[in-house]
Amino acid sequence: MVRREGYKNRIELLQGTLDMLILQTLSWGPEHGYGIGQAIRSGSGEVLQVETGSLYPALHRLEKQGWIRSEWRASEHNQRAKYYQLTAAGKRQLTAEQGRWNQLSAAIASLMHPGESEGQA
Amino acid sequence: MSMWLWFRRGRRDRELDEEIRAHLAMATRDRVERGEDPRAAEAAARREFGNRTLVEETTREMWGWSSLERLWQDVCYALRGMRRSPGFTAVTLLSLALGIGANTAIFSLVNTLMLRKLPVEHPEQLVEPSHRFQDEPHFNTFSWRQYQYFLAHNHVFSDLTGMSGINYDFGAFFHVRDRGPEAERVGGVCVTGNFFPMLGVRPALGRLLGPEDDRLNAPGPVAVVSWSYWKERFNLDPAIVGKRITVDGFPVTIAGVTARGFRGLILDSPEDIWLPLAMLPSLAPGRSLEKNGNVMLVGRMKPGVGIGQARAEMAILFKQAVGEGPAGRERSFLSAMQFEMESASAGLSRARDQFAGPLVLLMGVVGLLLLLACANVAGMLAARGAARQRELALRVSLGAGRWRLVRQALTESLLLSGSGTLLGIGVAWLGATALVRIVASGRERLEIHPVPDAHVLLFTAGLAVLTGLLFGISPVLHVWSTAPAASLRGAGKGGDTRFGRLLGKALVTAQVALSVGLLSVASLFILHLSDIYAGLGFERDHVLLATLDPSRAGYSRAQLARPYQEILERLRALPQVRSATLSRVTPVLGAGASRDATVEGYQDRPGELRYLSENWVGPKYFETFGTPLLRGRDFTFQDDGGPRAAIVNQAMARHYFGDGNPLGKHVTFDGDPKPYEIVGVVGDAKYIDPREIAGRIIYFNAFQEGHLFPRFSMRTRGAPAAVAGDFRRIANGVLKNAAVERITTLEDQVDATLVPERLTVTLSGLFGALGALLAAIGTYGLLAYSVARRGNEIGIRMALGATRRGIARMVLGESLGTTCTGLAIGVPLGYWARRAAAGLVPDLPVKGAAAIAVSAVMMILVALLAAYVPARRATRVDPMEALRYE
Repeated sequence: MVRREGYKNRIELLQGTLDMLILQTLSWGPEHGYGIGQAIRSGSGEVLQVETGSLYPALHRLEKQGWIRSEWRASEHNQRAKYYQLTAAGKRQLTAEQGRWNQLSAAIASLMHPGESEGQA
Repeated sequence: MSMWLWFRRGRRDRELDEEIRAHLAMATRDRVERGEDPRAAEAAARREFGNRTLVEETTREMWGWSSLERLWQDVCYALRGMRRSPGFTAVTLLSLALGIGANTAIFSLVNTLMLRKLPVEHPEQLVEPSHRFQDEPHFNTFSWRQYQYFLAHNHVFSDLTGMSGINYDFGAFFHVRDRGPEAERVGGVCVTGNFFPMLGVRPALGRLLGPEDDRLNAPGPVAVVSWSYWKERFNLDPAIVGKRITVDGFPVTIAGVTARGFRGLILDSPEDIWLPLAMLPSLAPGRSLEKNGNVMLVGRMKPGVGIGQARAEMAILFKQAVGEGPAGRERSFLSAMQFEMESASAGLSRARDQFAGPLVLLMGVVGLLLLLACANVAGMLAARGAARQRELALRVSLGAGRWRLVRQALTESLLLSGSGTLLGIGVAWLGATALVRIVASGRERLEIHPVPDAHVLLFTAGLAVLTGLLFGISPVLHVWSTAPAASLRGAGKGGDTRFGRLLGKALVTAQVALSVGLLSVASLFILHLSDIYAGLGFERDHVLLATLDPSRAGYSRAQLARPYQEILERLRALPQVRSATLSRVTPVLGAGASRDATVEGYQDRPGELRYLSENWVGPKYFETFGTPLLRGRDFTFQDDGGPRAAIVNQAMARHYFGDGNPLGKHVTFDGDPKPYEIVGVVGDAKYIDPREIAGRIIYFNAFQEGHLFPRFSMRTRGAPAAVAGDFRRIANGVLKNAAVERITTLEDQVDATLVPERLTVTLSGLFGALGALLAAIGTYGLLAYSVARRGNEIGIRMALGATRRGIARMVLGESLGTTCTGLAIGVPLGYWARRAAAGLVPDLPVKGAAAIAVSAVMMILVALLAAYVPARRATRVDPMEALRYE
């Protein structure tokens, strides 16, 4: 209830987008759940806030699908943490989702700014 | 399975827990590094993380097998619930076990007799032709000539096969000597050469019989045996082919073994050996196929021919064959027969003729019983659901998904029905064994073996799921009707909804209605059976029947009068014997004789049947059997040498003389010029079958002209069986070497003819009582709960001056209310059930409302009884105690 207030000026993530963002984040290298959340947040200029209630289910779902795998290792502060990393299948999935995302954002952009897209065409 | 589940689960849970702890630790460290107070940082990190349990829960959902795990949780929850209320669980499981067990037991018999297909090729093409007199059982016996006529002229069968036993049609057997020195009884028949080819039965070993074996003087007579015979007698020894055995003293060679599972076409008496029909005259001297070789027929319809078409053509062929047959009495007899044809896909069965109606009816009865059991369990679940209302409301308020609760309720119901089914299978096994014993206790030899095949298993599994869903609906409705806030607020003592109360009442009403239906069917059958007993015309209790075989005693038949008279006199001298007699047949033995007669002073109407059923009886026959002597006198030993004397029954006296005096009138039989003089008139008594309409019967004196038959009957003072030893002693004392063949009681002889009736009475009575008991439990449960719930209301009423009697009346009134509603539904249901029953079983006394009235009164008594304890408890409510709770 308390946290709701803080979210009002942030953008809710589109369904399915979170998976792509996680895969994208992991394409830089292995990362733990907390790190992934932080990376998305800072990478989006504090606009995108990933709720833990979405992040962890997403991570476990992606792992079950075989796009990422996990292992336990020590963090930079010598804290045992579960690190996720992309699998080969995950890399292919990321490429596919990027393509789809580009199409989608171009399509939305052309709808939102009809003049520009006409000019380009 | 569950251990593994828990193990996996534990490891994953620990990992998730650690993952989240690491997350929180890192978030806290970040905040501390940014300069926050460690304590505040930790709290903030937690706040930011959100509802940890929810995160864990949703994450676990991603693991995929959590539905299995939830099922396990639900099962554990249900088991805990069952353990917590053992009384409820016991009653539930018991009523379900009985309901499902009874259904399975009866279905397994229905399956065996009516549904299970013969293990032959295309059993659906097989048909059984037969003929019958109106209202009499049908017979599948055709003369050899008729069979040849059908073979030559029909266009509907691809083949038609004939069988004949040497002794009986059904239950035929041979005396076979294979390995040991003694011949043993083995079921089997002689078959035509096309029998096995037509059925498409394959050999498990060797070869089966073919047309080449079924010829007179075929080289080396052969036999075929069944797989089970091969296993039991020869231990599956492959060397059985070519073995020589002796069948009724006749050496034959075993040619082959039939495929496993095939035991002939007759369900009631499995066969193990088959011989070519051409051997019949050798095995049964005096029988030749052309002269008196009757055969039982089974046809295979050509593909595309329907049974109606086949029946129509065969009916015409039957008439033609009769027309071309020998003229005279036989032709007039046969012309009165109706031709029939039924499917033989499930085998031939005389038991089916007798039991199909009662079994279908009992199937309906146990169906009602199971519905009742479901209503009962649903009622108990509803009451418990009401008691759990607060728990449910609390869980809904705390965010439990309704679907989850519904699933939990259904899991519990299915678990109950599943365990009930397991118990029910045990009940069914016992029940089916008992049923088979009852079914086989009749006059004819029956061997029926219900096997739990795929049909039965599917049926039982279907019942389990269906019952689980049926009574599971009630708790599900409860869950859905739970409005969290309202029930939490109103829950002074176990929140209770209007809906829940209505549901409980409706379920008890349904139980009352169903049990009225059951009871009226049961009382209908009880009335029916007691009508039959009352109409016997003789007294069936306290009579011992014993048959002697005097053939080795060294007397000629004419010389037996003296020793028989001596036996009777010695028997009569026994203190425990009131009277003794002998006769050619005893009542409802199942055998009889008749002759055409001319009666003095009576002009026959043209076309009238002139036959009289006859019996030769000794003096005191009517006294022994309790048939009243209405006019004239009984026979005496002194009649021998005097004029021929006869006693007639009332039906005959009325037919020939109306109200006139038959005494002194004469009766002459065709082919016997010497007349009989009527010396007495007795009451009507059943002759062959207890269900028959009294025919015209004439009795002759067995001691006149030496028509002596060794069937002795004694009316005893105590138990009839107690006289059996005395009879043996006396019979052997008078006639050395005379063997006592058969000893039974008249009661058993009567009961053996009434197996279907007794079966329906016993079972419908049992199920009716069970139904009433369940309804009583249901009523009791509802009232007990209602009294507990209304404790403070009752207290207030008493405080305001209500008397204990008034309170008791209130509770009893509530009970009568649901009962009367139940009766309002149940009485029409009872009427409907009776009509359905009358359609399945002939001669039911469906007129009159006695049966239904009796069951309605019984239900009211049951309701009052069930209300007694709750009513007492209500009057014991202490007003002060109750008010304090407000």
